[in-house]
Amino acid sequence: MKLKPINRFIIPIFIFYIFIFAGCKDNSNSVVVYTTVDQVFSEPVLKKFESQTGIKIKAVYDTEETKSTGILNRLIAEKGNPQCDMFWSGDPMRTVVLENKGMLYPYISKSAEGIDEEFKDKDHLWTGFSARARVLIYNKDLLKKEDVPQSIFDLTSEKYKGKVAIANPLFGTTTFYLAALFSIIGDEKAKAYLQDLKNNNVVIATSNGDVKKRVVKGEVFCGLTDTDDAFEAIKDGDNIGMVFLDQQGIGNLIMPNTVSLIKKEKISDNAKKLIDYLLSPETESALSYSCAQMPLHKGVKTAKNIPSPDKIKPMKIDYIETAKKLKEIQNYLKKWVEKQ
Amino acid sequence: MGRKTIKYPVYTIALALYLFFIVLPVLYSLWLTVTDGHFIENIKTVGQDSIILLLKSSVLAAVIAIISTFFGIILGFLIYKTSINYRKFFKVIILIPLFISPYILAVAWRDILLLFFDKIENSNSFFAIILVHSTIFIPLSILIIGSALVNVSKNLEESALMISGFKRMFFNILLPLIKPAILSSLVLVFIFSISEFSVPAFFSVRVFTTEIFTQFSAFYNHSLAMLQSSLLIIVCVLLLLSERKYIADSPFLSIGTRGKTTKLYDFKSFNKIAYLILIFSVFIMILLPLLILLYQSFKDGTDDFIEAFQLLIPTFGNSLFLALTGAILTLIFGFIAAYFSEIYRKKLLDSSLLLLFAIPSIVLGIALIKFYNRPVLNTIYSGVGIIIIGYVAKYGFIAAKMLENAIKQIPKSLDEAAKIQGIKFYKRINSITLPLVFPAIFAAFMINFLFCLGDLGTTIMVYPPGTEIMPIKVFTIMANAPESLTSSMVLIVFLFTISIILILFSIFRKIFTAYNVNY
Repeated sequence: MKLKPINRFIIPIFIFYIFIFAGCKDNSNSVVVYTTVDQVFSEPVLKKFESQTGIKIKAVYDTEETKSTGILNRLIAEKGNPQCDMFWSGDPMRTVVLENKGMLYPYISKSAEGIDEEFKDKDHLWTGFSARARVLIYNKDLLKKEDVPQSIFDLTSEKYKGKVAIANPLFGTTTFYLAALFSIIGDEKAKAYLQDLKNNNVVIATSNGDVKKRVVKGEVFCGLTDTDDAFEAIKDGDNIGMVFLDQQGIGNLIMPNTVSLIKKEKISDNAKKLIDYLLSPETESALSYSCAQMPLHKGVKTAKNIPSPDKIKPMKIDYIETAKKLKEIQNYLKKWVEKQ
Repeated sequence: MGRKTIKYPVYTIALALYLFFIVLPVLYSLWLTVTDGHFIENIKTVGQDSIILLLKSSVLAAVIAIISTFFGIILGFLIYKTSINYRKFFKVIILIPLFISPYILAVAWRDILLLFFDKIENSNSFFAIILVHSTIFIPLSILIIGSALVNVSKNLEESALMISGFKRMFFNILLPLIKPAILSSLVLVFIFSISEFSVPAFFSVRVFTTEIFTQFSAFYNHSLAMLQSSLLIIVCVLLLLSERKYIADSPFLSIGTRGKTTKLYDFKSFNKIAYLILIFSVFIMILLPLLILLYQSFKDGTDDFIEAFQLLIPTFGNSLFLALTGAILTLIFGFIAAYFSEIYRKKLLDSSLLLLFAIPSIVLGIALIKFYNRPVLNTIYSGVGIIIIGYVAKYGFIAAKMLENAIKQIPKSLDEAAKIQGIKFYKRINSITLPLVFPAIFAAFMINFLFCLGDLGTTIMVYPPGTEIMPIKVFTIMANAPESLTSSMVLIVFLFTISIILILFSIFRKIFTAYNVNY
């Protein structure tokens, strides 16, 4: 057997075939969507839209490693020549970051008619739908029902020392939660609370998923996470309980998904169709079954045990103000995380 | 006036392509950092804290590099230089940690460590990072050191053994001859370790890369992150340049292998101990984490495994195409850089590869987006071309590094004699250089193939919407998927990769046999 010589044709041939491959994409009747919603939940919804409409979905999903931030960085870096038609975010905070950078385009969807105005941007740059809540999950083998904390302020108690986990507050929905907390109780009280939490040796996990794993494995008694993680653990048969916190006090944080059009030279009609589809009661119902999200339309058929947002006392927050607060407290949160 | 001709057309074309497609985007991104209006403010922010963090990360990376290289020498010798049975099996199986994502290994190792510790924090976390990173990088050291060991002239070893014992020959002949490979292993592992983000983040240890990531991902401060990355790049480049200086100054006595065979040692009574060492290493580095993954995959039946397979089916073709293309292209650029650097002292391409290698993945990803994401370059940006460019940028240097060490060991007289005989450039490369560096080409190809197949950091930033790629799919599914599904996906990735490795091994074996090359 003889080797073919490395000759002057090899490099051009390879470059040629990369570019040929690169040019083989079909842009007709498609929509580019970037989403921070976990792929296990978002992909089936997008596939269903694809099969119902024949519009091809070209999706970029977020990952556990760069949760809710990889895509945002990519969107920001692509600002000069956006590739994305539509952004589907798991919470309003990331969307507000894009809004503040002038990257969104207004759209009023008919599908959003039954959704409360508090879940919509006043300039129609984004619309909320299916919500998650911030909850406390606990390991039933390690905590008796009467010992389960009912308020986040209980977590600083000596009996939970070193046995409570929260995700790194610089990333994901934990950032949102703490910004909301700062907005509601004020900076001074919130800082004192976080200090007490630190003194109580709170475990800082890498993500909400990591919090769930630590609680399931019994590394900690309980932890703060989102309803989708909580229901996933319960569905898997883990001995996990879930509590909506502060129902007698400041209320529980409700986090809707949001959809928005990305501002670009040509706004895609397919993206509008996808937004209409995502905001429909049908999608909200599907998300309640797949990841325990709470529909924001009234009267939507939901999976068993999914509470209506009406039944939960919510934290009263303004999303834009909370996003501003988030920016203000980020340096503090960074120092808090780094403090031993 | 006669027409001017380009003296080294292959080199010039490769250099021009590399500078335009890869170096220019990074320089453009740096330019944006300097001119964004916050440069002075950002410079002030990069203060003492950053330096301390960089030192801490350097110490951690140095420990990992020393451990990996130490075990790389021992295991590399046992696998590549002894006549121990099943050594080819060990040669393949020991590569496995290289293609399991660091993050997934970290998850598996935490589960193992929790059997021994109540929880993983502080000193335990450092130990965990060292353990996980060493497990990943020992195979890299074995490959680098192993390919150097098989290139050592049998004559030198046998002559030494005639006048002294094995121990003296090992320390006075063998080790000095593979010193460049040892140094390369130390430097490469150090750079890989100090640039790796997911494992320290998983164990909640604040290191320099997690700091850069925080600036990118929590503060969206690309400029400050770029600036911090520059510090990391400076450390890595200084290290690589010192290593190069040292290698350039060190004497080379070793000769290529054509027509010769590598000396294999048979220690008879020691064979049992050698087996034990190899089996123990395979157990710790591979079996233990794999057993955990197997248990997690099948503890609730086979449904999740089947689902994982269905999820991954669309990724196999794309990932294979991208990894093979990436590996071949990095090899071509690496070979051209190494050859012209060593033979003709043309160092610019090689230095450019070095510079790009030291850039953290996320920074490279952002630089590529900022440069390529414009209408005129849309063909590249919205296709897989951008991923291939990312691979060449990230891994081209590894190929160059490994091939440089191999080319260095070829006596210059061989090429010069052929040149005097009037044999043309391509013929000389084809008939002299390539056959003599085949083991290194093979090792470089395999390493780059594995890195491209598992690349996440850069790919996640630039992969075209709708393109299904294996590591991306595993990671995006990982969030909120049941543990059994995630572990099943990792196992399938492992089975897929090992199948491809075996196929590639059999193809290369035919080539090696045809050229009478030791492997």
